Amino acid sequence: MYRFLAILAFYRPFVVWSFIANAIIGFFNPLIAPALVTKLFLTIFAWYYVSETNNKRKLTFYKNLGISTLKLFSVIFILDCILTIIFLTIFKEFT
Amino acid sequence: MIFELDNVELYFKNKRILNGIYLKAETGKVTAILGRNGCGKSCLLNIAFGNLKPKYKLVRLDNKPLLKPLFSTKIAKYLPQYNFIPSEMKLSFVFKLYAIDWTIFIENFEAFAIYKNSKFKALSGGERRIIETYIILKAKSKIVFLDEPFSHLSPLHIETVKQLIEEEKKEKAIIISDHMYQHIIASSDIIYLLKNGTTKKIEKLTELEDYKYLSEGSLRS
Repeated sequence: MYRFLAILAFYRPFVVWSFIANAIIGFFNPLIAPALVTKLFLTIFAWYYVSETNNKRKLTFYKNLGISTLKLFSVIFILDCILTIIFLTIFKEFT
Repeated sequence: MIFELDNVELYFKNKRILNGIYLKAETGKVTAILGRNGCGKSCLLNIAFGNLKPKYKLVRLDNKPLLKPLFSTKIAKYLPQYNFIPSEMKLSFVFKLYAIDWTIFIENFEAFAIYKNSKFKALSGGERRIIETYIILKAKSKIVFLDEPFSHLSPLHIETVKQLIEEEKKEKAIIISDHMYQHIIASSDIIYLLKNGTTKKIEKLTELEDYKYLSEGSLRS
């Protein structure tokens, strides 16, 4: 449970960006499949960004918990997909 | 537990940093790595932990080759040179995450009692360092890598860390690297010198002077 909360803490700075991306996707093409593909690319970009900046120091924290970078970003991607699906479903109900 | 790191070859843009490395650490002993700035000590610890992928390496645990990164086995902990715990995390949460008893920590470090519900960003660099070192040493593991654990610490805290190392080595293999060679010599059982990209096991301390790691007479002073 604590490990999952630690992963959520890593995801927290990306939440705002994720919602901005969801809003843009919602206005232009509110279909779930393309939205998830977009999120996959954004997750890969986030991985690259973290690996190439000082943020990669945070990855050591997760490796000390036995969480590899692949596992970390996979969980974040799944969480983000769930939020995206919920967001787009609600968005389509009101448009 | 016997940990061995063998046949390491590391290149950065065709420049050979490490080659022909052999390192052995075992439970009950502190293994130290000494070497000049930029000789590759931190790279070596990163490779051992699985944080850095070299061209070649062989890790053996109890004589059995390990093909996946060491960290994924959850038996190793690594203290890097930098502050690795995210600044936004609370101390109480990190202690729960690593299953470490806060009350025992406070018995040793009374001054930190007020920080239980504070975030790491509220601490100074030295305070963060001592807590991170404590967490890495006390967390459940079989192998511990410590990269410059004595840096940024006051003399009193250095002695506390040395005591912690002495306690924890009974159940763990500890690999340590630091420039404060007096503390390293005092707390280690085996010393390797990293020079010209390879490791040399030091049998007598005077070899550190022979290999020009220390200047003549340093050990007598």
